[in-house]
Amino acid sequence: MTLTQYGIKYAVHIITSNFGNLVAKVCEILLRRGHLSLKQLIGFTELTPQQVKNSLLILIQHNCVQPFSFDQSEGPKVTQYIALFDNIIHRGRFAKFLAVVSQELDTDRELILKDLLENGRLTLKQIIEGAESSKSQGDSADKDSVQESFLKLVNAHFVERCPAPEPVLGQATKQEGPAKKRGAKSAKMVEVPETIEQRVIAAAAPPEAIRFSIMIDSEADAPGGKSDNMSVGEKRKHATLEFDAEFESSDEVVLWRANFEEFIRCLRHKACVENVRARLDDEAAVVLRAMLKATRTAEKKVKTENSVPLSLNTIYEEVINSEAGRSLTMGRVRDSLSGLCDSSQERDVDEDESYSADLKKILELAQDDEVELIVLKRYGKDAYTMFRILSLAGRPIETDKISDMSQLSLVEKNETPKILYNLWKDDYLHMERLVVTGARQSQFLVWRVDKPIIWKHVLDEMFHTALNLSLRLACEEERFKEITDLPAHKLLGEMAKQWQLYRNVILVLQASLLKLDDALMLFHDF
Amino acid sequence: MSRPSALKRKQPDSSSPSESLTEHEKIVYSVIRSKQDMGIWTRDMKKEANLPDNLVGKSIKSLQAKNLIKEVVNVQSKGRKHYMAAEFEPSKELTGGDWYSNGTLDKYYISCVKDGFAKIIYQLKVATLEGISDEVKKSGIFKTSFTKQQIEEILRVLVLDKRVTEVKSTGMGEFGSFPVGKVCYKSTSKGGSKREPKVGAMASIPCGVCPRISQCTPDGIISPRTCVYFTKWLDF
Ligand code: SF4
Repeated sequence: MTLTQYGIKYAVHIITSNFGNLVAKVCEILLRRGHLSLKQLIGFTELTPQQVKNSLLILIQHNCVQPFSFDQSEGPKVTQYIALFDNIIHRGRFAKFLAVVSQELDTDRELILKDLLENGRLTLKQIIEGAESSKSQGDSADKDSVQESFLKLVNAHFVERCPAPEPVLGQATKQEGPAKKRGAKSAKMVEVPETIEQRVIAAAAPPEAIRFSIMIDSEADAPGGKSDNMSVGEKRKHATLEFDAEFESSDEVVLWRANFEEFIRCLRHKACVENVRARLDDEAAVVLRAMLKATRTAEKKVKTENSVPLSLNTIYEEVINSEAGRSLTMGRVRDSLSGLCDSSQERDVDEDESYSADLKKILELAQDDEVELIVLKRYGKDAYTMFRILSLAGRPIETDKISDMSQLSLVEKNETPKILYNLWKDDYLHMERLVVTGARQSQFLVWRVDKPIIWKHVLDEMFHTALNLSLRLACEEERFKEITDLPAHKLLGEMAKQWQLYRNVILVLQASLLKLDDALMLFHDF
Repeated sequence: MSRPSALKRKQPDSSSPSESLTEHEKIVYSVIRSKQDMGIWTRDMKKEANLPDNLVGKSIKSLQAKNLIKEVVNVQSKGRKHYMAAEFEPSKELTGGDWYSNGTLDKYYISCVKDGFAKIIYQLKVATLEGISDEVKKSGIFKTSFTKQQIEEILRVLVLDKRVTEVKSTGMGEFGSFPVGKVCYKSTSKGGSKREPKVGAMASIPCGVCPRISQCTPDGIISPRTCVYFTKWLDF
């Protein structure tokens, strides 16, 4: 999805509040102009080379910028820098990521993850030192437990090796990614990446076999010694065996970071389950959760449309193994599956029939709900009805026909054109004039819910709203500064009241921002 | 439940009434009658009859007194006087269709029909249009019968209201008795009653429903820093 105006503004706001104006300036130029070389960046930002370099270092350290270069036969190699929009937006989601880990694994792992999120990239040694110092106990038992936690995080794919420092991208030849030549990604690159950003990410990603393996990055094994070389890997399945070797190794080149992709996958699954719970019932939610849990690591990409197929028996086993599903019978599981799967898929009713949940549909329905509720609140019940008529129909419909169709929803006939016009003027509907030349020339207006365009518009309004909430949050913090600076024992009488007000205001703003971010993920990341 | 049936047609009077009419009345009557169930607006009538206004007015009065014509409501333009020959019943265009009574949308009737259908679908669990239609007939809760088109309209509005979902049969589980791909209807909630609407993330924040959002900028005249909608929202 291309970046929207307010998407960029919100991203820049996040960087400003995290790293200050200079870094934000560099980031903004990159977001607006795509990839640039250091020289171009200095020119556009009008900052000193040192300032730009420092900003870039910070952005790279925090995974917000990825350097790369184009494969050039002649001339010197020029490093390009590209901003990673998604990773910037993820910075507002760290609390959610931590919650995922504490739910999926346990709270102990949170410490390491928090460290990684705060610092962007760390070596194993730094991670262990960090964990130890925050526990302020240096005994070796602790070290073991940190190692163990780290291992669990990596095995669960919540932590990964950092991407190649500067991958080389084949010359941009139309659609095809010459990046494909870099064989390592064969498994990951089922789809041809489209944007430069996607190509760079794909080219920089370590091969799957290495990405989550813990061992020495033995330069000797890898011809050329490039960290993005893929000839290593296969023999290194048994990560644990080599764990100590890595730990003791003086060679600290391996950097680790939080794997945002996995967190988004977990949050996506969670969103699917909750939406199914709301739309169907608890049982269907239990079944879906069991299916997704069993196949999480087998998913090839985050935005997968259908869950990985499983046989009925396997699903049933998974369901009764989960706490909430213990009492379900096979028949009930089958019933729930009928509501989760794509009805257009032909399936044979054999013994070993396999099922895969239609995740795309589940998420689409959730998106529809969100947009419809905006229409309902902003334009009223009648507009909501018409919007739903058009959205369900999925084709253009003429004004009079819409009137007829909304009759039973008790919409007054002569209101129809006005309501449609209101929606159209705010970009919530698409309108076309049709001129029919027959015996008499007549003109019709036809209306349509053009999802890709409207959804993009809604997404931009969401980013706008996120920015507004954050700005207001900062304002309110400022407004109550006097109160929040007071020591607790001075909070009496009027002051105590003010403090309570401050708490309420902040809570509402923060909670709204978190909830809005769920919707943002629904439209942008899922 | 029944409603004043506007649907049945009266038989035209067998003895031709036009004998006893004046010349003018005859002209006016034939203009009105030629429009059949569409009727005619007085202004148009005057033009077509090509008679002075007062004569037309008089003729109308006397025709009405003889029960040869009647005044009908046109939903499209309720202020205009509309006449029709007595033997016709107003067309859909005039009445507004099956869901209108006396020129206004019969809201009470509609909501009763909706509730009745929702309940039947809930009891059937999953059903096709034909299945629902049969069940409605069998139940006898409505005195009038519904055309297929009416049933489609009712189902559509129940889907719009999210009381019912339209699903294609997967041919398994509860869809076992329907062929794969057949359009079926299913209740969305217990008792087929309206369910609590979800609250949207955007819809619960002032900006999500703000009419000024396109003019609102961080440092503009309309800005989140000074926004009154926010101030109201955050006023505890
Ligand atoms: S900040 Fe205020 S004016 Fe701006 S979009 Fe939000 S509600 Fe509207």
